[in-house]
Amino acid sequence: MQITMKEFQKMLGSASSALNEKIDEFSRIDSLFGDGDHGVTMERISKEIAVTATMDYRSISEMLQDLSKRVMNVNGGSAGPLYGIVFEGFADGLEGVSEIGRDEMKAMFAGALDGFALVSRAKEGDKTMMDVLIAACRKAETCQKALPEFLHEVAEAAREGAERTKLFQAKFGRARFHKEATIGTMDAGACSLATLISGFAAGLN
Amino acid sequence: MMKKFINKPEDLTKELLEGLAMANEDIIELVDGNLVVNKKLKDADRVTVVTLGGTGHEPALQGFVGEGMADIAVCGDIFAAPGPESCIKALEMADRGKGVLFVVLNHAGDMLTANLTMKAAKARNLQVVKVVTQEDVTTAPREDAENRRGFVGCVPLYKIAGGAALQGKSLEEVAAIAQKFADNMAAISVSLTGATHPVTGGSLAVLNDDEMGVGMGQHGEGGGYKLPVKTSSETVALLMEELLKDLDIKKGEKLMCVINGCGATTLMEQLITYRDAVNFLKDRGIEVVANMVGEILTVQETGGYQLFIARMDDELLSYWKEYSNTPYYKS
Repeated sequence: MQITMKEFQKMLGSASSALNEKIDEFSRIDSLFGDGDHGVTMERISKEIAVTATMDYRSISEMLQDLSKRVMNVNGGSAGPLYGIVFEGFADGLEGVSEIGRDEMKAMFAGALDGFALVSRAKEGDKTMMDVLIAACRKAETCQKALPEFLHEVAEAAREGAERTKLFQAKFGRARFHKEATIGTMDAGACSLATLISGFAAGLN
Repeated sequence: MMKKFINKPEDLTKELLEGLAMANEDIIELVDGNLVVNKKLKDADRVTVVTLGGTGHEPALQGFVGEGMADIAVCGDIFAAPGPESCIKALEMADRGKGVLFVVLNHAGDMLTANLTMKAAKARNLQVVKVVTQEDVTTAPREDAENRRGFVGCVPLYKIAGGAALQGKSLEEVAAIAQKFADNMAAISVSLTGATHPVTGGSLAVLNDDEMGVGMGQHGEGGGYKLPVKTSSETVALLMEELLKDLDIKKGEKLMCVINGCGATTLMEQLITYRDAVNFLKDRGIEVVANMVGEILTVQETGGYQLFIARMDDELLSYWKEYSNTPYYKS
């Protein structure tokens, strides 16, 4: 299966719906060790994703660049720039690509990881979005299946990555001041990122 | 159940900034909906000061925009940093040919946006120097400044930097002065009651009736510890001891002392606290030469205050005593 602009926009629409369903959940998790508004920011980001899914672009990369710019500037704290970097990285990984197969999608996730590395020193196990992105990229590296199965497996790995953040102590963001008390709770950003990737996969059926 | 005089939760930031601009139309103007700009910026033939941060902390940060303090405050949503695009726009607007000092509080979102902004500013050849405030003593020792949060100290820092800029100092000089002041600040927070997040209605920090929280941060985000409630003078002694130790303040030194009410602590309590702070320092042979007492950087209706000190000398004092005219601080 090769993904064109039309299918990618369907993936975006599906990701937006998946995020919308969990807005309250994001705020609830964030309220435990943050200021409880991750859902508010994700709702805005989700709106930008939904709008992007309906607009016309020359290329998938251009579309993701535009989405990145708008998400980066939702004025909602760290999540805006961080998701802006995710989409910018996706765009970089898909530069010059008109149809996406397994290898292109692998490059797309790798692009996001590269983008993150430039702005964050978070490592695997620091209880951040990085735990999800690393898990997704690792699966993307090794999975030999074709799309859409490939993306379903990556999404499953992302969910597991988010789930694993429960085992870790927060090292970044406001939550880090709560130290070992954060063990047992999922990281809010990891939760939303895994939801986004699952939403992509669900949109591909 | 949230009980606040607001309209739609999603319009809070927009409406509070509009209100601020309407109430102070001779001093500031609102540009693009989230830039609070000094009306005299256009005529500024000096270094200018730009800052960024979330709203919900009124009067900070945007209430201290005007001559002699910050020239532009880039405002994000409630407790949330703005994106880099509006910061870059602010830096471009603020640069009147003498360069811009960019004051950033050490919080994850603010720092992320500031770093992305500095990267873009470099690419555009803007003359900008960033200074980070990180004076909270509870989260990490001085050597580990990266893990110390920015508290109320940004506000007196705007005044010191703004004063130096009014005296015609160059960007390098203003930055060095601001950095020196930043390196000599220390603050600690104490809270009695938490607040509700004005958008979600969720609670920020929960304390029992007989407890006070020391070092719980600007958004009730935790860290620190809980103690049974003490009297004003006992609390001041406990907090001040930590601050003096952090800065290694000796007998004979001169300090600025700030009592920052966090939202629900009465001016009566703040004044009693200030009195106790000055007396405590006097007993140690330490003189208070500059002060602020009042609600400066609040967290909604949080009960509690931030105790802040900074090491002063005659040079810093001369910048502190410069003219300033902002909505919430005039001198």
